[in-house]
Amino acid sequence: MRRIWYRLSPQMLIGELLEKRWMEPIVPFALMLAMFAAFLLAIPDYASVVQIQLLMRSFPEQAFVAIAMAISILSGGIDLSVGAVFAMANFLALYLFLVQEWSLPLVLAGTLAWGVLIGAVNGGLIAYAKTRPFLTTMVVLIIVRAAYNKATIAYSAQLASGYVENAAWDFIGIGTAGGIPFNMVCLIVIGLATHIYLTRIRSGVHIMAVGSSRKAARHAGINVKWSLFLAYLLSGVLASFAGFLYAARQNSAGTDTGVGWEVNALAAAVVGGISLSGGRGTIARAMIGATIIFLLINGLVQLGTHGSLTTAAIGFILLLAVGFNVKFVKHKSTILQKMYVSPTLVNFKEPPSIERGSGSVFAENDRLLAVEPIGLGKIEGPEDVILDRYDNLYTVNRNGSIIRFLAPDYEVREEFARIGGRPLGLAMDKDENILACVAGMGVYGVRPDRSIFKVTDETARTWYRFKDDSRILLADDLDIAPSGLIYFSDASTRYELTDWALDGFEGRGNGRLLCYDPKTNKTTTVLSGLAFPNGVCVSHDGRCVYWVSTWLCRIYRYWIEGEQKGTLEIMVDNLPGYPDNINRASDGTYWLAFVGIRSPAFDLAMEDPAFRVRMVKQIPPDEWLCPGINYGCVIKFDDNGNVLESLWDPGAENHATITSMREHKGYLYIGGLENNRIGRLKLPDADQNWTSWDSYYAKDLQVASDVKTMEVDHVVDS
Amino acid sequence: MSIFSGRAFAVRAGLCLAAVAAMTMSMALPSQAADPRQQLHDDFTAATVGKKIAWVPVWLGVLESEWTRVMKENFEDKGIEFVMRDPNFKSDVQLQAVSTLINEKPDILIVQNPTTTLLARELKRAMSEGIKVIQVNMSSNTTTDAYVGVDVPKMGRLLAKEALAVCGGGKGSGKVAILQGEATAAYSLDMTNAATETLEKDPSIKIVSSQPVNWDANKASEVMTNVLQQHPDLCSIISVWGPQTAGAAQAVKNAGLQGKVKIFVGSDGQPADCDMIDQGLYTKNLSYTANLQGEQIVTAALALLQDPRPAGSTHYAFYTTNYWVSGPEDRRYCFTVSK
Repeated sequence: MRRIWYRLSPQMLIGELLEKRWMEPIVPFALMLAMFAAFLLAIPDYASVVQIQLLMRSFPEQAFVAIAMAISILSGGIDLSVGAVFAMANFLALYLFLVQEWSLPLVLAGTLAWGVLIGAVNGGLIAYAKTRPFLTTMVVLIIVRAAYNKATIAYSAQLASGYVENAAWDFIGIGTAGGIPFNMVCLIVIGLATHIYLTRIRSGVHIMAVGSSRKAARHAGINVKWSLFLAYLLSGVLASFAGFLYAARQNSAGTDTGVGWEVNALAAAVVGGISLSGGRGTIARAMIGATIIFLLINGLVQLGTHGSLTTAAIGFILLLAVGFNVKFVKHKSTILQKMYVSPTLVNFKEPPSIERGSGSVFAENDRLLAVEPIGLGKIEGPEDVILDRYDNLYTVNRNGSIIRFLAPDYEVREEFARIGGRPLGLAMDKDENILACVAGMGVYGVRPDRSIFKVTDETARTWYRFKDDSRILLADDLDIAPSGLIYFSDASTRYELTDWALDGFEGRGNGRLLCYDPKTNKTTTVLSGLAFPNGVCVSHDGRCVYWVSTWLCRIYRYWIEGEQKGTLEIMVDNLPGYPDNINRASDGTYWLAFVGIRSPAFDLAMEDPAFRVRMVKQIPPDEWLCPGINYGCVIKFDDNGNVLESLWDPGAENHATITSMREHKGYLYIGGLENNRIGRLKLPDADQNWTSWDSYYAKDLQVASDVKTMEVDHVVDS
Repeated sequence: MSIFSGRAFAVRAGLCLAAVAAMTMSMALPSQAADPRQQLHDDFTAATVGKKIAWVPVWLGVLESEWTRVMKENFEDKGIEFVMRDPNFKSDVQLQAVSTLINEKPDILIVQNPTTTLLARELKRAMSEGIKVIQVNMSSNTTTDAYVGVDVPKMGRLLAKEALAVCGGGKGSGKVAILQGEATAAYSLDMTNAATETLEKDPSIKIVSSQPVNWDANKASEVMTNVLQQHPDLCSIISVWGPQTAGAAQAVKNAGLQGKVKIFVGSDGQPADCDMIDQGLYTKNLSYTANLQGEQIVTAALALLQDPRPAGSTHYAFYTTNYWVSGPEDRRYCFTVSK
């Protein structure tokens, strides 16, 4: 039961949910649903078709004005004139239609032209004359409002008695398309278009960028003034289009038309969670906010509430929503941080002894004391090392480059290529390209001529997970199968390299084994739900892939050829250390690096997820109980899962946190994630001519040259 | 609510008693159903009890609250369901409320139109859906089953005649200012037009200002302050409604012209109107007594409920009588507001 609880971890689910950007408006969205549900209970027939139609018919104009306001806010300003512009557009539409008796398309054009005009005035003043948006649009609000009052008074008699029977006009006002009121159809279409404009179209994205940071936008080469101008133009046009729809629906230009709509629109934006400092928010959020206010007013009126109480209730709920929303947005990251780490249950058995003289194969010894340093102080964090056929030594550096030490003495250091990211595991393919797993980027390659190419950076997304795991977040180690398929580990889909310890606290299957097929250029997920899969190595016979789970201290075997193809088995369990990279040894066995050594205290912690939750929440990171990595140890195992020997650097004087080792012509080269050198150890008993590259490709080379020779012979014969 | 609950209880108790009595009587005298007076009562009951009447004012001001109170008391007494929706002076909300009510299909819909056009289309739809519509005091461009309210042009003429009596024929400066309500509301529009026509018959009269103040005392105060600055010799003010005029009267008082500028007001007879008369701030107030008007709305509704013809068949008009209030002795034409 406990195991299932920790395995399924609702906490992780909520954590990953909270991380989603679309979760930001969760509070207003929930409020909207709650309000609808409440009115559904309180008002009979609230969800009847006619009633829903009516709600949809009454809503769009307010929503348009809210969108207009939202755009101006997203651009980093505010447009207080939307209500007055809306009212004036309403009057203009009625005037042009009822008094001037223009045709409908002309009325629409005239109304929108008004929006363009006033948008250009606002935008021109704010963007080009650099006036303050708040004051500018407030002044425009006052002027337009006054003009509206004058105009409605001047034409009050005509407007009061004007009544034209026109089917198209009535269709715009009260018609439906497929059961949905026409103005709602307009809202859906234009709302979507505006959303796409602000998120996908260049000039719209520029408006958002300017709203986020005007300075940064200017530095990025965005025409800030033009973007601002466009934002107000759009705001004006949307508000006046709302006025046109309203005119067709209401046929009325009252003194109250549009009064206070700018306040409602502003409230909608704020309740919807659009940041008043600009750049943060969506059209959908403005709509949610507008819906909340609309439903609230409509519902309370339907309940027969006294008007003043309705207003008070709206004020109160707005205050509540805004207050809660502000708190939620402000503390969301903290909440997320506190609940994101979601440890699971790991039960360890007591590991084999590592005590010196205990007779165990893991017993501490001095065999790494004789290691000589290469590139001491000239390298930072050589996580993996590899050698080419000319004995040159390549390694990775923390700054994202591949460093080469030239044979034979490895005194000369040069930057071979700079990939970026944090390169980790290395491999060399048949064409002698260096392939590197790069944390944060994926798998990249460097050709012998130093040019860099991308191998892969994404795989298929897991459909049932909230977190988008299509990107390869932490590519760790790779190897190449005889078929050319590249198997590599993505150690964690939840944490970046710098947070590896947090992934360790979870002990959860966050990682996966991926396979890239160069023929189809596709990456597939071979195994998922793996606890920090780290080293990957194709067996000498090419029939299986060995990989290790660092947090579970296991070596796994995954069959890629033969009868057992596709099956996974644990080959070595309960290692005394945390395994890292695996590489082939000259005698048909495999080297395995221990990045750290288990301790009884941490093993105990792994059995108590609640303890780790408390630890992460309550004490500062530098006091966390972490896996012990201040050890230096390399072991060797064979295809039957027997551990054959171990090589120790007692006290980890020279080589702590060993993450990789590579055998080459009788030497073992040692790399470490945090080290400042590469170690070289003479292996007197090893094959003094064996190289890793030959072990992978020499056979092919032999076959290829044989074929060539035969062909040549054939030609000669004929 | 609390002001109604005691009464509602009494009404309910009364109804229960009546029902019990009716049952006893019908059990005791089953053969007397053909009694003409009993028949009348039975027909009335069949036409009214359990019916639904919906009411949408512009908002719940003093005037509308008085109407609502009278309607509620009467309809509950007759066993009629009565619902009220308060759009609180928002025309879009009022339109929504009316549309929703039409979908709920009450038997009678009573509305107060903020403008002549806003509800015109929906009222037509209501009648085509079989809902009888009564418009109160402020009508729309759609004529419905009944109109209950002021004979607005007549009221305008009466007010104008008072102004003429004081300022016309060369008396005083002849300058008159008109304070309209909402420019596109029938009540204000028609009253202004009638008053203007009447005033213009006298060439010595100059209408120096005729502006809408949207039922708002503050706005009326602003407007009147400006008018008085330009025309300190203003003779008279005609205002279409009481509460907004309070602001104008204050402006007149502030200008030191109280008593010199005659103020004639058409209003609903809310207590403040009579108070203003008592304080000498208004010269004369033409009251249409909202409480009595409320009774008339009830009467119209009851008549329509008992009328078997479908919605849209009749065009009843129930014009209310206006009463002049010119001193404390006319208090009876103002209603009282229970606290």
